[in-house]
Amino acid sequence: MSVEKKETLIQVQNLTKTFGGSVHALNGVSTDIKKGEVVCVIGPSGSGKSTFLRCLNRLEDPTDGRIIFAGEDLMDPKTDIDMHRQKMGMVFQHFNLFPHMSILKNMTIAPMKLQKRGKDEAEGQAMKLLERVGLADRANAYPSQLSGGQKQRIAIVRALCMNPEVMLFDEPTSALDPEMVGEVLNVMRDLAKEHMTMVVVTHEMGFAREVSDRVIFMAEGKIVEEGTPEEIFTAPKTERLQSFLSKVL
Amino acid sequence: MSRQLYLNFIKDNRWKYIVNGLGTTLQITFFAVILGIALGFLIAVIRSTYDKTGKGKILNFLAKVYLTVIRGTPVLVQLLIIYFVVFASVDINKIIVAVMAFGINSGAYVAEIIRSGIMSIDDGQFEAGRSLGFNYTQTMIYIILPQALKNVLPALANEFIVLLKETSVSGYIAIQDLTKGGDIIRSQTYNALFPLLMVAAIYLIMVLFFEKLVSILERRLRNSER
Repeated sequence: MSVEKKETLIQVQNLTKTFGGSVHALNGVSTDIKKGEVVCVIGPSGSGKSTFLRCLNRLEDPTDGRIIFAGEDLMDPKTDIDMHRQKMGMVFQHFNLFPHMSILKNMTIAPMKLQKRGKDEAEGQAMKLLERVGLADRANAYPSQLSGGQKQRIAIVRALCMNPEVMLFDEPTSALDPEMVGEVLNVMRDLAKEHMTMVVVTHEMGFAREVSDRVIFMAEGKIVEEGTPEEIFTAPKTERLQSFLSKVL
Repeated sequence: MSRQLYLNFIKDNRWKYIVNGLGTTLQITFFAVILGIALGFLIAVIRSTYDKTGKGKILNFLAKVYLTVIRGTPVLVQLLIIYFVVFASVDINKIIVAVMAFGINSGAYVAEIIRSGIMSIDDGQFEAGRSLGFNYTQTMIYIILPQALKNVLPALANEFIVLLKETSVSGYIAIQDLTKGGDIIRSQTYNALFPLLMVAAIYLIMVLFFEKLVSILERRLRNSER
Protein backbone atom coordinates (compact mmCIF):
# COMPACT_ATOMS: atom_id res chain seq x y z
CA MET A 1 0.00 0.00 0.00
CA SER A 2 3.06 2.25 0.16
CA VAL A 3 2.69 2.57 -3.57
CA GLU A 4 -0.38 4.77 -3.15
CA LYS A 5 1.63 7.60 -1.68
CA LYS A 6 4.29 7.67 -4.38
CA GLU A 7 4.25 10.30 -7.07
CA THR A 8 2.75 9.60 -10.46
CA LEU A 9 5.29 9.05 -13.25
CA ILE A 10 2.96 8.45 -16.17
CA GLN A 11 -0.57 9.67 -16.32
CA VAL A 12 -2.73 8.23 -19.05
CA GLN A 13 -6.05 9.89 -19.78
CA ASN A 14 -8.71 8.58 -22.11
CA LEU A 15 -6.20 7.07 -24.51
CA THR A 16 -7.81 6.11 -27.81
CA LYS A 17 -6.33 4.52 -30.88
CA THR A 18 -8.24 3.66 -34.01
CA PHE A 19 -6.86 1.94 -37.08
CA GLY A 20 -8.34 3.04 -40.37
CA GLY A 21 -10.96 5.13 -38.59
CA SER A 22 -13.19 2.26 -37.53
CA VAL A 23 -11.23 -0.41 -35.66
CA HIS A 24 -10.82 0.57 -32.03
CA ALA A 25 -7.56 -0.84 -30.71
CA LEU A 26 -7.81 1.37 -27.65
CA ASN A 27 -11.10 2.74 -26.44
CA GLY A 28 -10.59 5.33 -23.73
CA VAL A 29 -7.91 3.92 -21.45
CA SER A 30 -7.03 5.87 -18.32
CA THR A 31 -4.59 4.90 -15.60
CA ASP A 32 -1.69 6.25 -13.57
CA ILE A 33 1.70 4.62 -13.30
CA LYS A 34 3.46 5.54 -10.10
CA LYS A 35 7.16 5.83 -9.55
CA GLY A 36 8.65 2.45 -8.60
CA GLU A 37 5.46 0.62 -9.42
CA VAL A 38 5.45 -2.65 -11.34
CA VAL A 39 2.34 -2.90 -13.47
CA CYS A 40 1.54 -6.00 -15.48
CA VAL A 41 -0.94 -5.77 -18.31
CA ILE A 42 -2.74 -9.01 -19.16
CA GLY A 43 -5.53 -9.88 -21.50
CA PRO A 44 -6.45 -11.91 -24.57
CA SER A 45 -4.71 -11.21 -27.87
CA GLY A 46 -6.26 -8.31 -29.70
CA SER A 47 -7.24 -6.70 -26.42
CA GLY A 48 -5.06 -3.67 -27.17
CA LYS A 49 -2.52 -4.28 -24.44
CA SER A 50 0.48 -4.03 -26.75
CA THR A 51 -0.99 -1.00 -28.47
CA PHE A 52 -1.44 0.59 -25.05
CA LEU A 53 2.21 0.00 -24.18
CA ARG A 54 3.46 1.22 -27.54
CA CYS A 55 1.40 4.38 -27.20
CA LEU A 56 3.17 5.23 -23.93
CA ASN A 57 6.38 6.16 -25.78
CA ARG A 58 4.47 7.03 -28.92
CA LEU A 59 5.91 4.29 -31.09
CA GLU A 60 2.24 4.10 -31.92
CA ASP A 61 0.51 7.44 -32.32
CA PRO A 62 -2.64 7.60 -30.22
CA THR A 63 -5.67 8.99 -32.00
CA ASP A 64 -6.86 10.81 -28.90
CA GLY A 65 -6.21 11.21 -25.20
CA ARG A 66 -3.33 12.44 -23.09
CA ILE A 67 -0.10 10.96 -21.82
CA ILE A 68 1.68 12.97 -19.14
CA PHE A 69 5.20 11.68 -18.52
CA ALA A 70 7.23 13.34 -15.75
CA GLY A 71 4.96 16.37 -15.95
CA GLU A 72 5.16 16.79 -19.72
CA ASP A 73 2.39 16.17 -22.21
CA LEU A 74 3.76 13.68 -24.71
CA MET A 75 0.89 14.35 -27.11
CA ASP A 76 1.86 18.00 -27.46
CA PRO A 77 3.43 18.42 -30.92
CA LYS A 78 5.98 20.78 -29.36
CA THR A 79 7.23 18.09 -26.98
CA ASP A 80 10.56 16.59 -28.01
CA ILE A 81 9.51 12.95 -27.99
CA ASP A 82 13.05 11.69 -28.74
CA MET A 83 14.25 13.36 -25.55
CA HIS A 84 11.57 11.59 -23.51
CA ARG A 85 12.13 8.23 -25.15
CA GLN A 86 15.66 8.29 -23.75
CA LYS A 87 14.01 8.07 -20.34
CA MET A 88 11.66 5.26 -21.34
CA GLY A 89 13.46 2.00 -21.98
CA MET A 90 11.65 -0.48 -24.16
CA VAL A 91 12.04 -4.24 -24.56
CA PHE A 92 10.43 -5.93 -27.54
CA GLN A 93 9.04 -9.38 -28.11
CA HIS A 94 11.57 -10.00 -30.87
CA PHE A 95 14.56 -8.44 -29.05
CA ASN A 96 15.49 -6.15 -31.96
CA LEU A 97 19.19 -6.12 -31.21
CA PHE A 98 21.26 -4.46 -33.91
CA PRO A 99 22.81 -7.39 -35.80
CA HIS A 100 25.63 -5.34 -37.32
CA MET A 101 27.02 -4.30 -33.94
CA SER A 102 28.74 -6.21 -31.17
CA ILE A 103 26.88 -6.60 -27.89
CA LEU A 104 28.96 -3.86 -26.31
CA LYS A 105 28.30 -1.54 -29.24
CA ASN A 106 24.59 -2.34 -29.06
CA MET A 107 24.64 -1.16 -25.49
CA THR A 108 26.87 1.88 -25.80
CA ILE A 109 25.80 3.48 -29.08
CA ALA A 110 22.78 5.31 -27.67
CA PRO A 111 24.47 6.56 -24.46
CA MET A 112 27.47 7.77 -26.45
CA LYS A 113 25.60 9.41 -29.31
CA LEU A 114 22.59 10.75 -27.42
CA GLN A 115 23.85 11.44 -23.93
CA LYS A 116 27.33 12.38 -25.12
CA ARG A 117 28.91 10.09 -22.59
CA GLY A 118 32.52 9.04 -22.98
CA LYS A 119 33.40 5.64 -24.42
CA ASP A 120 35.13 4.40 -21.25
CA GLU A 121 32.30 5.48 -19.00
CA ALA A 122 29.60 4.01 -21.24
CA GLU A 123 31.47 0.74 -21.67
CA GLY A 124 32.14 0.58 -17.94
CA GLN A 125 28.45 0.80 -17.20
CA ALA A 126 27.64 -1.69 -19.96
CA MET A 127 30.15 -4.19 -18.57
CA LYS A 128 28.71 -3.85 -15.09
CA LEU A 129 25.23 -4.53 -16.41
CA LEU A 130 26.47 -7.47 -18.46
CA GLU A 131 28.03 -8.95 -15.36
CA ARG A 132 24.77 -8.58 -13.52
CA VAL A 133 22.94 -10.62 -16.13
CA GLY A 134 25.79 -13.10 -16.42
CA LEU A 135 26.82 -12.24 -19.95
CA ALA A 136 30.05 -10.32 -19.46
CA ASP A 137 31.96 -12.91 -21.48
CA ARG A 138 29.78 -12.18 -24.53
CA ALA A 139 30.56 -8.46 -24.71
CA ASN A 140 32.36 -8.77 -28.03
CA ALA A 141 30.02 -11.33 -29.54
CA TYR A 142 27.42 -10.47 -32.15
CA PRO A 143 23.67 -10.97 -31.66
CA SER A 144 23.55 -13.86 -34.16
CA GLN A 145 25.79 -15.87 -31.82
CA LEU A 146 23.42 -15.66 -28.87
CA SER A 147 20.41 -17.70 -27.82
CA GLY A 148 16.99 -16.09 -27.57
CA GLY A 149 17.17 -15.81 -23.80
CA GLN A 150 20.60 -14.23 -23.99
CA LYS A 151 19.40 -11.79 -26.65
CA GLN A 152 16.50 -10.69 -24.52
CA ARG A 153 18.71 -10.20 -21.47
CA ILE A 154 20.99 -8.04 -23.63
CA ALA A 155 17.97 -6.10 -24.90
CA ILE A 156 17.00 -5.36 -21.30
CA VAL A 157 20.42 -4.13 -20.28
CA ARG A 158 20.75 -2.18 -23.52
CA ALA A 159 17.69 -0.20 -22.49
CA LEU A 160 19.06 0.15 -18.95
CA CYS A 161 22.26 1.74 -20.27
CA MET A 162 20.25 4.91 -20.93
CA ASN A 163 19.36 5.07 -17.21
CA PRO A 164 15.63 5.21 -17.96
CA GLU A 165 12.98 6.21 -15.45
CA VAL A 166 10.60 3.55 -16.65
CA MET A 167 10.96 0.26 -18.50
CA LEU A 168 8.31 -0.87 -20.95
CA PHE A 169 8.18 -4.59 -21.74
CA ASP A 170 6.18 -5.78 -24.75
CA GLU A 171 5.64 -9.52 -24.27
CA PRO A 172 9.33 -10.05 -23.53
CA THR A 173 9.13 -13.82 -23.19
CA SER A 174 6.59 -14.68 -25.90
CA ALA A 175 9.18 -15.42 -28.58
CA LEU A 176 11.39 -17.55 -26.32
CA ASP A 177 11.82 -21.27 -26.03
CA PRO A 178 10.19 -22.38 -22.77
CA GLU A 179 13.47 -23.19 -21.04
CA MET A 180 14.74 -19.67 -21.66
CA VAL A 181 11.78 -17.84 -20.17
CA GLY A 182 13.09 -18.22 -16.63
CA GLU A 183 16.41 -16.47 -17.18
CA VAL A 184 14.67 -13.43 -18.66
CA LEU A 185 12.05 -13.29 -15.93
CA ASN A 186 14.82 -13.47 -13.32
CA VAL A 187 16.42 -10.34 -14.72
CA MET A 188 13.06 -8.59 -14.66
CA ARG A 189 12.40 -9.79 -11.14
CA ASP A 190 15.72 -8.28 -10.01
CA LEU A 191 14.81 -5.03 -11.68
CA ALA A 192 11.49 -4.96 -9.87
CA LYS A 193 13.26 -5.53 -6.56
CA GLU A 194 15.39 -2.47 -7.26
CA HIS A 195 12.18 -0.45 -7.58
CA MET A 196 12.49 0.24 -11.27
CA THR A 197 9.17 1.49 -12.62
CA MET A 198 7.96 -1.19 -15.00
CA VAL A 199 5.02 -1.70 -17.30
CA VAL A 200 4.96 -5.28 -18.51
CA VAL A 201 2.64 -6.69 -21.13
CA THR A 202 2.81 -10.41 -20.53
CA HIS A 203 1.22 -13.80 -20.79
CA GLU A 204 3.24 -15.07 -17.84
CA MET A 205 0.51 -15.17 -15.20
CA GLY A 206 2.86 -16.56 -12.58
CA PHE A 207 5.22 -13.66 -13.06
CA ALA A 208 2.40 -11.11 -13.02
CA ARG A 209 1.06 -12.58 -9.82
CA GLU A 210 4.40 -12.74 -8.06
CA VAL A 211 6.08 -9.50 -9.11
CA SER A 212 3.46 -6.87 -9.85
CA ASP A 213 2.14 -4.24 -7.52
CA ARG A 214 -0.87 -3.91 -9.77
CA VAL A 215 -2.38 -5.94 -12.56
CA ILE A 216 -4.40 -4.43 -15.38
CA PHE A 217 -6.74 -6.68 -17.30
CA MET A 218 -7.65 -5.41 -20.75
CA ALA A 219 -10.19 -6.63 -23.28
CA GLU A 220 -11.63 -5.01 -26.41
CA GLY A 221 -9.39 -1.96 -26.04
CA LYS A 222 -10.55 -1.14 -22.52
CA ILE A 223 -9.37 -1.68 -18.99
CA VAL A 224 -11.92 -4.15 -17.71
CA GLU A 225 -10.50 -4.68 -14.27
CA GLU A 226 -7.44 -3.62 -12.31
CA GLY A 227 -6.15 -4.30 -8.84
CA THR A 228 -3.57 -6.07 -6.77
CA PRO A 229 -2.50 -9.52 -7.96
CA GLU A 230 -4.61 -11.08 -5.18
CA GLU A 231 -7.72 -9.20 -6.26
CA ILE A 232 -7.22 -10.05 -9.90
CA PHE A 233 -6.19 -13.67 -9.61
CA THR A 234 -8.07 -14.92 -6.56
CA ALA A 235 -11.16 -12.77 -6.60
CA PRO A 236 -11.90 -11.62 -10.15
CA LYS A 237 -15.05 -9.52 -10.19
CA THR A 238 -16.02 -9.38 -13.85
CA GLU A 239 -17.20 -12.28 -15.90
CA ARG A 240 -14.79 -11.36 -18.70
CA LEU A 241 -11.78 -11.74 -16.40
CA GLN A 242 -13.15 -14.91 -14.85
CA SER A 243 -13.50 -16.55 -18.23
CA PHE A 244 -10.04 -15.33 -19.30
CA LEU A 245 -8.41 -16.71 -16.16
CA SER A 246 -10.22 -20.01 -16.47
CA LYS A 247 -8.58 -20.43 -19.88
CA VAL A 248 -5.03 -19.40 -19.01
CA LEU A 249 -4.52 -20.67 -15.47
CA MET B 1 49.44 -12.84 -86.47
CA SER B 2 52.38 -10.75 -85.30
CA ARG B 3 52.00 -8.66 -88.42
CA GLN B 4 48.39 -8.01 -87.49
CA LEU B 5 49.35 -7.16 -83.92
CA TYR B 6 51.98 -4.76 -85.23
CA LEU B 7 49.56 -3.20 -87.68
CA ASN B 8 46.74 -2.75 -85.18
CA PHE B 9 48.54 -1.73 -82.03
CA ILE B 10 52.15 -0.69 -82.70
CA LYS B 11 52.17 1.09 -86.04
CA ASP B 12 51.52 4.84 -85.84
CA ASN B 13 51.22 4.42 -82.05
CA ARG B 14 47.72 3.00 -82.46
CA TRP B 15 47.83 1.53 -78.97
CA LYS B 16 47.32 5.08 -77.78
CA TYR B 17 43.71 4.93 -78.99
CA ILE B 18 43.17 2.03 -76.61
CA VAL B 19 45.03 3.50 -73.65
CA ASN B 20 43.57 6.99 -73.96
CA GLY B 21 40.13 5.50 -74.58
CA LEU B 22 40.48 3.36 -71.49
CA GLY B 23 41.39 6.44 -69.48
CA THR B 24 38.29 8.24 -70.75
CA THR B 25 36.04 5.24 -70.02
CA LEU B 26 37.37 4.97 -66.48
CA GLN B 27 36.99 8.70 -65.94
CA ILE B 28 33.36 8.72 -67.10
CA THR B 29 32.53 5.57 -65.11
CA PHE B 30 34.17 6.78 -61.91
CA PHE B 31 32.41 10.13 -61.76
CA ALA B 32 29.12 8.70 -63.03
CA VAL B 33 29.23 6.11 -60.22
CA ILE B 34 29.76 8.87 -57.65
CA LEU B 35 26.95 10.96 -59.10
CA GLY B 36 24.75 7.86 -59.30
CA ILE B 37 25.36 6.93 -55.67
CA ALA B 38 24.70 10.47 -54.46
CA LEU B 39 21.50 10.79 -56.49
CA GLY B 40 20.38 7.25 -55.72
CA PHE B 41 20.93 7.69 -52.02
CA LEU B 42 18.95 10.91 -51.95
CA ILE B 43 16.06 9.47 -53.95
CA ALA B 44 16.03 6.25 -51.90
CA VAL B 45 15.84 8.17 -48.62
CA ILE B 46 13.09 10.45 -49.96
CA ARG B 47 11.08 7.46 -51.18
CA SER B 48 11.44 5.30 -48.09
CA THR B 49 10.82 8.24 -45.76
CA TYR B 50 7.54 8.73 -47.58
CA ASP B 51 6.77 5.01 -47.40
CA LYS B 52 7.50 4.85 -43.68
CA THR B 53 6.19 8.17 -42.40
CA GLY B 54 4.05 9.67 -45.17
CA LYS B 55 6.20 12.81 -45.13
CA GLY B 56 7.49 14.56 -48.25
CA LYS B 57 4.63 13.96 -50.64
CA ILE B 58 5.83 16.41 -53.31
CA LEU B 59 9.45 15.23 -53.16
CA ASN B 60 8.26 11.65 -53.42
CA PHE B 61 6.17 12.53 -56.45
CA LEU B 62 9.13 14.21 -58.17
CA ALA B 63 11.33 11.22 -57.33
CA LYS B 64 8.79 8.89 -58.88
CA VAL B 65 8.62 10.96 -62.07
CA TYR B 66 12.42 10.85 -62.29
CA LEU B 67 12.47 7.08 -61.80
CA THR B 68 9.74 6.50 -64.36
CA VAL B 69 11.30 8.66 -67.07
CA ILE B 70 14.87 7.45 -66.57
CA ARG B 71 14.00 3.78 -66.32
CA GLY B 72 11.49 4.00 -69.14
CA THR B 73 13.84 5.35 -71.82
CA PRO B 74 17.14 4.02 -73.22
CA VAL B 75 20.34 5.46 -71.77
CA LEU B 76 21.61 6.24 -75.26
CA VAL B 77 18.57 8.40 -75.98
CA GLN B 78 19.11 10.17 -72.67
CA LEU B 79 22.73 10.82 -73.55
CA LEU B 80 21.80 12.23 -76.94
CA ILE B 81 19.06 14.43 -75.45
CA ILE B 82 21.37 15.85 -72.80
CA TYR B 83 24.08 16.59 -75.37
CA PHE B 84 22.07 17.73 -78.37
CA VAL B 85 19.05 19.28 -76.63
CA VAL B 86 19.85 20.36 -73.09
CA PHE B 87 23.36 21.57 -73.83
CA ALA B 88 22.73 22.34 -77.51
CA SER B 89 23.79 25.96 -77.30
CA VAL B 90 26.36 25.57 -74.53
CA ASP B 91 30.02 24.86 -75.12
CA ILE B 92 30.63 22.14 -72.56
CA ASN B 93 33.17 19.36 -72.10
CA LYS B 94 31.65 16.22 -73.59
CA ILE B 95 33.03 14.08 -70.78
CA ILE B 96 31.02 16.13 -68.30
CA VAL B 97 27.92 15.58 -70.44
CA ALA B 98 28.56 11.83 -70.40
CA VAL B 99 29.15 11.81 -66.63
CA MET B 100 25.85 13.62 -66.12
CA ALA B 101 23.93 11.37 -68.48
CA PHE B 102 25.26 8.11 -67.07
CA GLY B 103 25.19 9.38 -63.47
CA ILE B 104 21.58 10.53 -63.72
CA ASN B 105 20.68 7.24 -65.38
CA SER B 106 22.47 5.09 -62.83
CA GLY B 107 21.00 7.11 -59.96
CA ALA B 108 17.54 5.80 -60.77
CA TYR B 109 18.66 2.18 -60.52
CA VAL B 110 20.81 2.79 -57.44
CA ALA B 111 17.83 4.50 -55.79
CA GLU B 112 15.60 1.47 -56.20
CA ILE B 113 18.35 -0.89 -55.08
CA ILE B 114 19.01 1.09 -51.89
CA ARG B 115 15.31 1.55 -51.27
CA SER B 116 14.75 -2.19 -51.49
CA GLY B 117 17.59 -2.57 -48.98
CA ILE B 118 16.00 -0.10 -46.58
CA MET B 119 12.60 -1.76 -46.89
CA SER B 120 14.15 -5.19 -46.31
CA ILE B 121 15.21 -4.22 -42.79
CA ASP B 122 12.73 -5.36 -40.18
CA ASP B 123 10.58 -2.58 -38.70
CA GLY B 124 11.67 -3.74 -35.27
CA GLN B 125 15.15 -2.36 -35.97
CA PHE B 126 13.61 1.01 -36.64
CA GLU B 127 11.47 0.85 -33.53
CA ALA B 128 14.40 -0.23 -31.38
CA GLY B 129 16.37 2.77 -32.59
CA ARG B 130 13.53 5.18 -32.00
CA SER B 131 12.74 3.70 -28.58
CA LEU B 132 16.30 4.42 -27.45
CA GLY B 133 15.76 8.06 -28.34
CA PHE B 134 17.36 8.29 -31.78
CA ASN B 135 15.47 10.56 -34.15
CA TYR B 136 14.50 9.46 -37.65
CA THR B 137 17.73 10.59 -39.31
CA GLN B 138 19.99 9.12 -36.61
CA THR B 139 18.15 5.82 -36.77
CA MET B 140 18.66 5.77 -40.54
CA ILE B 141 22.36 6.57 -40.30
CA TYR B 142 23.40 4.38 -37.37
CA ILE B 143 21.02 1.44 -37.66
CA ILE B 144 19.14 1.08 -40.94
CA LEU B 145 21.54 2.16 -43.69
CA PRO B 146 24.57 0.11 -42.56
CA GLN B 147 22.45 -3.03 -42.65
CA ALA B 148 20.63 -2.05 -45.84
CA LEU B 149 23.82 -1.30 -47.74
CA LYS B 150 25.37 -4.58 -46.75
CA ASN B 151 22.30 -6.45 -47.98
CA VAL B 152 22.29 -4.74 -51.37
CA LEU B 153 26.03 -4.75 -52.00
CA PRO B 154 25.82 -7.49 -54.66
CA ALA B 155 23.03 -5.68 -56.49
CA LEU B 156 24.92 -2.38 -56.31
CA ALA B 157 28.08 -4.00 -57.65
CA ASN B 158 26.05 -5.38 -60.52
CA GLU B 159 24.69 -1.94 -61.29
CA PHE B 160 28.21 -0.51 -61.48
CA ILE B 161 29.32 -3.27 -63.83
CA VAL B 162 26.38 -2.44 -66.07
CA LEU B 163 27.28 1.24 -65.88
CA LEU B 164 30.89 0.59 -66.87
CA LYS B 165 29.77 -1.27 -69.96
CA GLU B 166 27.02 1.20 -70.82
CA THR B 167 29.57 3.99 -71.19
CA SER B 168 30.57 2.23 -74.42
CA VAL B 169 27.87 4.21 -76.21
CA SER B 170 29.71 7.48 -75.46
CA GLY B 171 31.03 7.38 -79.02
CA TYR B 172 27.61 8.60 -80.16
CA ILE B 173 28.48 12.07 -78.94
CA ALA B 174 32.00 11.73 -80.36
CA ILE B 175 33.77 10.90 -77.15
CA GLN B 176 36.82 8.73 -77.76
CA ASP B 177 36.29 6.14 -75.08
CA LEU B 178 37.66 2.60 -75.09
CA THR B 179 35.06 1.27 -77.53
CA LYS B 180 35.46 4.22 -79.87
CA GLY B 181 39.25 3.84 -79.70
CA GLY B 182 39.04 0.25 -80.87
CA ASP B 183 36.61 1.25 -83.58
CA ILE B 184 38.92 3.97 -84.86
CA ILE B 185 41.72 1.41 -85.20
CA ARG B 186 39.34 -0.87 -87.07
CA SER B 187 38.49 1.89 -89.53
CA GLN B 188 42.18 2.60 -90.14
CA THR B 189 43.45 -0.96 -90.49
CA TYR B 190 40.33 -2.58 -91.96
CA ASN B 191 40.84 -5.31 -89.35
CA ALA B 192 37.91 -5.78 -87.01
CA LEU B 193 39.02 -8.86 -85.11
CA PHE B 194 42.09 -7.64 -83.24
CA PRO B 195 41.03 -4.18 -82.05
CA LEU B 196 37.56 -5.29 -81.04
CA LEU B 197 38.77 -8.42 -79.26
CA MET B 198 41.29 -6.27 -77.42
CA VAL B 199 38.53 -3.87 -76.38
CA ALA B 200 36.31 -6.73 -75.24
CA ALA B 201 39.15 -8.31 -73.26
CA ILE B 202 39.90 -5.05 -71.47
CA TYR B 203 36.24 -4.63 -70.43
CA LEU B 204 36.21 -8.21 -69.23
CA ILE B 205 39.39 -7.79 -67.18
CA MET B 206 38.03 -4.62 -65.58
CA VAL B 207 34.79 -6.36 -64.64
CA LEU B 208 36.61 -9.39 -63.22
CA PHE B 209 38.89 -7.13 -61.19
CA PHE B 210 35.89 -5.23 -59.84
CA GLU B 211 34.04 -8.41 -58.97
CA LYS B 212 37.06 -9.66 -57.06
CA LEU B 213 37.18 -6.39 -55.13
CA VAL B 214 33.51 -6.65 -54.25
CA SER B 215 33.76 -10.26 -53.08
CA ILE B 216 36.63 -9.32 -50.77
CA LEU B 217 34.55 -6.47 -49.38
CA GLU B 218 31.54 -8.74 -48.96
CA ARG B 219 33.56 -11.31 -47.08
CA ARG B 220 34.98 -8.68 -44.76
CA LEU B 221 31.51 -7.31 -44.04
CA ARG B 222 30.20 -10.78 -43.34
CA ASN B 223 33.10 -11.59 -41.03
CA SER B 224 32.31 -8.55 -38.93
CA GLU B 225 29.12 -10.27 -37.88
CA ARG B 226 30.44 -13.40 -36.32
